[in-house]
Amino acid sequence: MPLKSDKKLTLLWLQGLTCNGNSHSFLNLSYLADVLLACDILYHPSLPSLQTLETISTCKLECDVLIFEGTFDPLMQRNNVMVGKLLRHYAQKARHIIAVGSCASFGGMFKASAPQRNSGLVFNETAHEGPLLQYQEKVINLSGCPIHPEWLGYTLSMILQEKKILVDSLHRPIELYSYLAHHGCTRNEYFEWKVDSKKFGEKEGCLYYEQGCRAPMTHASCNKILWNDVSSKTRSGTPCFGCTEPDFPRANFFRTKTNMSIPDEVPVGISKRSYLTVAGIAKTFHIKRLEEKLIDYKTAD
Amino acid sequence: MITKQLIEQIEGEATVHFTMNGNTVDFATVAFPHFRGMERILQGKNALDALVITPRVCGICGHAHLMASVRALESAYVHMSQDIQLSTKAQMIREFTLLMEIVQNHYKWIYLTLIPELGKLMPLSNMSTPLKGAFAASLASKALASFSGQWPHSSYMLPGGVTCDPTHMERIKAQSYLRELIAFFENETLGIDLETFLSFESCKEIRSLSSDISRIEQSLLSLGMHEKGFAYDRFVVFGNHGFSVPSKMKQTRSYSVKSKYVSIKDSYSPQEKTFAKNALYKNDYYETGPLARAMTNSVPIIRNIHRRFKDSAYSRVVARIFEIASLLQHALELLKLMELSETSLTMPEPIHTLTAEGIGIVEAPRGVLIHKVSIEEGLIRNYEIITPTQWNIGSDTKESLTPVQLAMQGVTQEEALFIFRTFDVCSVCTTH
Repeated sequence: MPLKSDKKLTLLWLQGLTCNGNSHSFLNLSYLADVLLACDILYHPSLPSLQTLETISTCKLECDVLIFEGTFDPLMQRNNVMVGKLLRHYAQKARHIIAVGSCASFGGMFKASAPQRNSGLVFNETAHEGPLLQYQEKVINLSGCPIHPEWLGYTLSMILQEKKILVDSLHRPIELYSYLAHHGCTRNEYFEWKVDSKKFGEKEGCLYYEQGCRAPMTHASCNKILWNDVSSKTRSGTPCFGCTEPDFPRANFFRTKTNMSIPDEVPVGISKRSYLTVAGIAKTFHIKRLEEKLIDYKTAD
Repeated sequence: MITKQLIEQIEGEATVHFTMNGNTVDFATVAFPHFRGMERILQGKNALDALVITPRVCGICGHAHLMASVRALESAYVHMSQDIQLSTKAQMIREFTLLMEIVQNHYKWIYLTLIPELGKLMPLSNMSTPLKGAFAASLASKALASFSGQWPHSSYMLPGGVTCDPTHMERIKAQSYLRELIAFFENETLGIDLETFLSFESCKEIRSLSSDISRIEQSLLSLGMHEKGFAYDRFVVFGNHGFSVPSKMKQTRSYSVKSKYVSIKDSYSPQEKTFAKNALYKNDYYETGPLARAMTNSVPIIRNIHRRFKDSAYSRVVARIFEIASLLQHALELLKLMELSETSLTMPEPIHTLTAEGIGIVEAPRGVLIHKVSIEEGLIRNYEIITPTQWNIGSDTKESLTPVQLAMQGVTQEEALFIFRTFDVCSVCTTH
């Protein structure tokens, strides 16, 4: 089922070691049809493509935008061709290279498959050690496990509209990653007054103090734009695992590391001293409303 | 002579090596070349971390992995004589999100796999609509995420319940996405309302429609897929849910199943290195997935189709599409009955107190999914994952064919490649 071919942006989606989660997340994009209409898809792991993986792996074609999903493993092959060779061939002529997901950005979950050799395209966590280091000016990292579909929708649309994408030092678009996952969290008032969640499975309380939530330390617009247009981890009572950061995956996801019952890590850019001062004062107040259930179904009967 | 075929645009990549006898397949072996070592990654980790790591086995059925993981942990608690109290609410929410994931999977399979593959074997008019699959799947994901927070890769199930604490707002929103999805299914796929479709008892009634499903059915018949693609006519279902009946079947006779009879065997793949392992029950191969679920559930139309066409490629495809309909109806029922005043989660004893073994079994989109865990003071000592594709698409010697190997025998190579995909292959799960 080839798509029509005229002068559109040619797009090639390759994969390293991956779960396909970014491919599937992207399929949820509400304006997917518009983006696809403006592109010629040379190859995508599930969408109709102009080429097969067999022709792609001959390394005789070129693309405008190279998208890579998954951890880069220097020993991995696709259709018996080294993934490194495929990457270097297509990266050379591509105008933009997009690493989708934390695996392709920093190594991510499947760096652990072979920690001594696996990495992202440019970064190995935060070290500049990836296979496309020489093309790093062209590389945009869309970290996240998986990516939010809007992040790739934004990036492709900006490229299509020939707008400049500003990036941070980890090559992530600033308009997407200058926010913290904490921004827009429905539990923000509990964070302000230092009221922790007593247990999982409740609307009330902040998950940062005990339940492992990393939203105040994590660059992502999850709670600003929401997932699947409806919710987010923290809105459904799950802590943020910091999946957009280079150190993902960490360990002990459901427990906050604390020192003398104070979280070991404090919100980005806030000094520990400032944080402790404010937290100490906030904790001296007991606010009844925040210590009660938001809705008590039992008394409503 | 042995010819090699690359299978792409499945979840990941596989290769099939065919030995031909004239124009037909004499013997075929299957290789899955990529490996991530999930089980090793899990070793030594906090047992709760499995709930974040195992969903990342698979981008299309990670929710089934989450549920298998949480069930494995809960079973470990029970083995340590610690009660796990799951509220009816938590059970219903888990079941709802699990079956929404199955629905999105099947929808994508119809429009991104089945129809394009049929198109390679015969001309199809008005059928090139891959985005129908993505759109319907995104609606299912919205309904799912209303409780799980996000899809893919949610970790909202914990031992003792679910982390979400929804109000009726979320339930009603999920209902509206579900109704939109049902309307889409009726208008774009069935050409008739869901209730009437579910009352169908024979494939003739499907043929009377003029829609995607009737065109698919017609194409399968004209390709002779009702006479091809037979496996052993043995089925296995393990997952305990409101929509499934754990049992094994030989032809139409049901027997009870016990997980202790499940075993794993190395794949036979002389031409190429493979990382896959085959799954067996009492040393025999069984088919798992939607056809198996419909057979053990005694779904009238699928039982009738099976009476005529056995476990052909035709039966397998129709069973998967029909399953969407029954799951959508079941999902509506769950949302209607969901009582939200109950507790979402009753926390068990802290994880570090846990030293035990556990097993979690669920019905994933493609069939039986098993997680086994061994925990020592809250840390994972060992983790084992057995996925549906390991049941259906193993690779063994000619004397001991797996379901897919048997199903590909005696047909042309082109037909064999189509039949291969009627099992709905997941390479990333297989070689986790």
